[in-house]
Amino acid sequence: MKKGLAVYYLFAIAILLGFFLSIQLKSDITSPGIITISKLIAMENDVENIEVEVNNLKKSIYELKSKLNDYERSLSESGSIYNSMMEEWKRIRNLAGLERITGPGIIITMNDSDKEIGVADNPELYIIHDIDVLEVVNELRAAGAEAISINGERILGTSSIECGGPIIIIDGHRHATPFIIRAIGDPKVLEASILAPDSYIDLLEYTGIQINVRKAEKIVIEGYRAPLKLKYLKSIEEGEKK
Amino acid sequence: MIIPLLGLLLGIFLGLLSPITIPIQYSTYMSIAILAALDSVFGGVRSSLENSFDVEIFISGFFANAVLAAILTYIGDQLGVPIYYAAIFAFGVRLFQNFAIIRRYILTRMKKNNK
Repeated sequence: MKKGLAVYYLFAIAILLGFFLSIQLKSDITSPGIITISKLIAMENDVENIEVEVNNLKKSIYELKSKLNDYERSLSESGSIYNSMMEEWKRIRNLAGLERITGPGIIITMNDSDKEIGVADNPELYIIHDIDVLEVVNELRAAGAEAISINGERILGTSSIECGGPIIIIDGHRHATPFIIRAIGDPKVLEASILAPDSYIDLLEYTGIQINVRKAEKIVIEGYRAPLKLKYLKSIEEGEKK
Repeated sequence: MIIPLLGLLLGIFLGLLSPITIPIQYSTYMSIAILAALDSVFGGVRSSLENSFDVEIFISGFFANAVLAAILTYIGDQLGVPIYYAAIFAFGVRLFQNFAIIRRYILTRMKKNNK
């Protein structure tokens, strides 16, 4: 009698056990284990990164919305979105450096030294090299120049300045002295940083290289002449849904 | 011995049929409950083999153990210390002890039958 009773209770508990087991297995829980401090910090970092990403996405949503608003406004005002698209196209061309542009900035004229070269002197030091021009361009960029041209040749991010013997080659075009570098940006900042002590021009002047820096309220810089080519580069569609 | 196994199968069947799932934050409680049930089953089998099965001890043991384990888990969660390991350890040790005793009973019974 007692044994029979035990079997019933065992039966009931076993049902409960099986029920719990199958529910736990069905819930597909991968145990996170013990959350240690380092795990917690890693998770916090993950969350922070995701929050930054979300913020960026929100910003881009806002930008796209305002762009859409622009389109809609110009559509309702002039009946077409041609004008606002034209504006955007201009802006992108300006960013790419393809447009003829104007603005305040500085004009640097560099010429070879006119000093008498002594017998023992190295004439290499008295002429302008590709690297000199490159250093000056780099300093202008560091000072916040928005557009730079050398002898009318627009310098882009992909531009190259190479040595070509007595001349320098900029993007495949030959240029000889004097080099006239035009840069659009804050004239005061550009001049100050280009003429600062220990700047590259400051060092060049020891060798008698003739350098003239002039601020100007209105400089015109030509757009990039050679056609831009993208042969290997492909854009990545990111987060776009159709 | 067959009847608890049948109950186990029936329970698994019911669990698979039921739509209940456990949220991840309660999964430790569920695993503790599973251990408590397992411990009770083994304890019950052992005591029924010893002919010392007591309904009150069996039922109260199951629920009291489960509640204590749940409390330990909860406190551990609050403190950030996995105290429920104590429950796992205690249940686990007793599980093996009970299993060893059950094994011995069955073996001695088989030997008797052979003789």
